[in-house]
Amino acid sequence: MHEFRVQVGPAAFRIGSAWKRPLDQLAELYCDYPNPEIPDYSVRLEAVGFLRRFVRPSVAINGDYMLPDAAPLPLKQALLAAEMAMNLQIALGWRRHLLLHASAVEKDGKALIMTGASGSGKSTLAAMLGHKGWRFMGDEFVLIDLVTGEAVPFPRMISLKNEAIGAMQASVLDGRFGPLMSGTPKGNVRHLVPPADAIARMAEPARPALLLFPSFGFESAVRDIGASEVFMRLTQASTNYVALGEAGFNTLTRFIKTVPARAIDYHDGQEAEALVGRLWSELA
Amino acid sequence: MTAPQSPFYKAELAEQLVVEPLDAMTLMYQRRSGITHIVAEPVPEILAVMSGDVLDAAQVAARLALQFDFDDRDSEAIVATRLEELAMLGLVERVGA
Amino acid sequence: MDDSSDKPESSLNSVATRRRALMLGAVTASAIVSVRPALAQSAASVMNCEIPVPGPHGTGMNIDSYGKLVPRDTPGSFAATGQKFTGEQVKAALRGRSLPGTSYDQSQAYMNYIRRLQSGQSGFTCYASLQMSR
Repeated sequence: MHEFRVQVGPAAFRIGSAWKRPLDQLAELYCDYPNPEIPDYSVRLEAVGFLRRFVRPSVAINGDYMLPDAAPLPLKQALLAAEMAMNLQIALGWRRHLLLHASAVEKDGKALIMTGASGSGKSTLAAMLGHKGWRFMGDEFVLIDLVTGEAVPFPRMISLKNEAIGAMQASVLDGRFGPLMSGTPKGNVRHLVPPADAIARMAEPARPALLLFPSFGFESAVRDIGASEVFMRLTQASTNYVALGEAGFNTLTRFIKTVPARAIDYHDGQEAEALVGRLWSELA
Repeated sequence: MTAPQSPFYKAELAEQLVVEPLDAMTLMYQRRSGITHIVAEPVPEILAVMSGDVLDAAQVAARLALQFDFDDRDSEAIVATRLEELAMLGLVERVGA
Repeated sequence: MDDSSDKPESSLNSVATRRRALMLGAVTASAIVSVRPALAQSAASVMNCEIPVPGPHGTGMNIDSYGKLVPRDTPGSFAATGQKFTGEQVKAALRGRSLPGTSYDQSQAYMNYIRRLQSGQSGFTCYASLQMSR
């Protein structure tokens, strides 16, 4: 089995694979990331049955933490399988911070956190802002420190989907992109290496200053959201809130009492950028 | 079977609950179960007036009336229903007949 | 936790000083929501999943039109071999399409089976995640 190790934010991964090529692709994309000595989590990309390593090869995901019902992916989508496997370790295993399924960017030591269902545009917005003067902190998970309440970055590869691929290719001309994977369960997927400062400063936390719930595809609008609704939504955006017990409760209540929250609707990136800029200057 | 008697309840101990009032809702984290409950009026008030005592719905409604103004049509029935709900969640305990 | 006196759990001693209006609500209006672990929602975004019809607990059984597991020779029931449907296929079926390789009625029966899955049964996590994602 081939092996690759990488440190993303506070998490260290060992990725084993029955095939060398996906690990070479990972190594190329993650070449600027630290190489951890002792991994926190091991994941494996395994062949589905011995023969399937050669005939219509499929990648089965395995690792320290797994969910039932996981389906294999075609070998051509091995990078996506690796991303899913790494995400799963964090989603199921992480206990050192309150985990929010959200994206985040930073400016002046303050974090803008965006959360919402898949398709809300939170990842694309973070990727876009990360190339426009903000520091990219992550497009999938934000980790909230249980003691300080600060947001800790998890700046893994940016996972662009469908229309976002073309948009980012057009605006990030010097971007380092992974291979285009088409026809995945999430449509077309292409990875983008985060900007250099996101990787260099990945151990640097920021104080949460604004929480947005973006919705893509609607008339431009801003709405207030009540504290209890924010609380409920964030418990549903966290895979470890319940597991953390009272520490999770205290961290989340402090978060909602100190961080202003708004829902924003937008049609396109420019509109979103303008809304974010306005709310940031008013509230953060 | 004896004639139906209204059940008595005892509230969860105050030290087992972390209470955070928000807008119209109140968060209650129960230490012994690790479960967070998001509750609306009159739940926090019911738990508060019960204090450490064993009470039935009528007594709880009477204690609420001492402290709050409310429309008391159905108040006993509403309190009885809330108490049953709270008992299901382990926030109050039904005390044996 | 602060101890300001206007908090609802303040003691009975403060009664005389302040009377506040209380919304009792209706008998039928439940006043409590409890937070459950949010595994499913995030699972949707972090993995690719599949649902066997039926799962191992129903091996050798047929599925009737209500989605219940029934003995093989039950009239009006559909054979099921444990075929695995992906999350995407089930999502499409939730929007009205038939599951691949099934007739309309068979697909309806299979979907009813999937809807009845319970925690712990194979495919449940996958189905739960589909309902929570858009």
